[in-house]
Amino acid sequence: MPTFKPKRAAELHRDLHSHVPSDPVLRVKALESLAVERGLVTSERIDAWVEAYSDHIGPKRGAQVVARSWLDPGFRARLLDDAASAIREFGFEGDATGDLKALENTPEDHHLVVCTLCSCYPFSILGMSPAWYRSAEYRARAVREPRTVLAEFGVTIPDDVSVQVWDSTSERRYIVIPQRPAGTEGWDEDRLAAIVTRNAMIGTDRHLEIGAP
Amino acid sequence: MDGIHDLGGMEGFGPVAATFDQNPFPGFADWEKRVVGLSYTLPLDGMTIDWFRHVVELMAPRDYLQTAYFDKWYAAYVVMFTDNGTFTLPDFGRPSALADTGAPSGEAVADVLAQDRASAGSYERPAGSPPAFAVGQTVRTRAHMHSGHHRLPRYARDAEGRVISHHGCHPLPDASARGTETPEHLYTVRFDARTLWGPDAPPNDHVALDLWESYLVPA
Repeated sequence: MPTFKPKRAAELHRDLHSHVPSDPVLRVKALESLAVERGLVTSERIDAWVEAYSDHIGPKRGAQVVARSWLDPGFRARLLDDAASAIREFGFEGDATGDLKALENTPEDHHLVVCTLCSCYPFSILGMSPAWYRSAEYRARAVREPRTVLAEFGVTIPDDVSVQVWDSTSERRYIVIPQRPAGTEGWDEDRLAAIVTRNAMIGTDRHLEIGAP
Repeated sequence: MDGIHDLGGMEGFGPVAATFDQNPFPGFADWEKRVVGLSYTLPLDGMTIDWFRHVVELMAPRDYLQTAYFDKWYAAYVVMFTDNGTFTLPDFGRPSALADTGAPSGEAVADVLAQDRASAGSYERPAGSPPAFAVGQTVRTRAHMHSGHHRLPRYARDAEGRVISHHGCHPLPDASARGTETPEHLYTVRFDARTLWGPDAPPNDHVALDLWESYLVPA
């Protein structure tokens, strides 16, 4: 059991430097080796998680959800009402999406998601977060100057569009539902999903590119 | 805790290093992928997500800013496995004796995917009391918090906002970080950007935070 003693944890943080290898590659390997030797984990299980996030759990899931919300008004209504339940229709429920909220971009509103206190992210639907999402720069600035941050992603928000920033301070998680671009009439779900970017589902992309006709 | 982790609104940071790829492990080194895999497999009896977060927050400020995100997770595991008596700090300095493993079996991957799905669940808990605030009500956040773990960032203290939704009761992070589950009403509160950042902020921008009842007082 943890001691739940902050003072002890802070002391251990200070002391660990003089014990662990200075190269992260070596120290993480040493941790895995120790845990395997003690029978706490197997390397195959860790490999399986890495493969699960490489081939199965990722932003393609979120993109499929967005594409369906563009095609099926009934699904869109369920998604906006209770996203955690709606993603179960795909079997996409999992880590950090048990209290999921879908945020609908409109011509009047642009949504942007951040976690200023750590880097909370809806893993089972978007996979692993990009480094910029976890950076001090994004965490510090997204709440204070979201329009400037968006400009660094090449996104300009007109003055008459309202920017809504969501700071993920609880176990609730957010996914942005971007607007369907013009010129995609008649497209099927897979074709639509292919144009939905990870950044659009975080909110650092707004106008999706439909590519060459 | 008014720690270095509470970055929201802090000034002086440079541009965000924007990336645009769809890679499932965007920019990850192999060791970072291993930390992800370890995070899903290492057994830590009695650990709560808030104790994990608090352990990360307790890293010295200089180290916090200089340490990569998944390296912070690594440090948190070293601290937690030392804290609970499983290992000692010198254990983590022993060289690796890992053998090379091949690709995982399809069965092993299917098994972790099933484990991930099974782990899904809401944090909502039965309510023991009626909510003190209603949707639409104006509330004020507390001006002062405490030195333990909590989820009311500095930039949103002593500020008036409007309750835009209520989510029933969720475990209070302050208590979870001490190993006890104390459900409390949770609200999403929307603040005008001008309330938080002053008159130069755009008039139609907002910031919404999920806040527990004890973080709020009547306006």
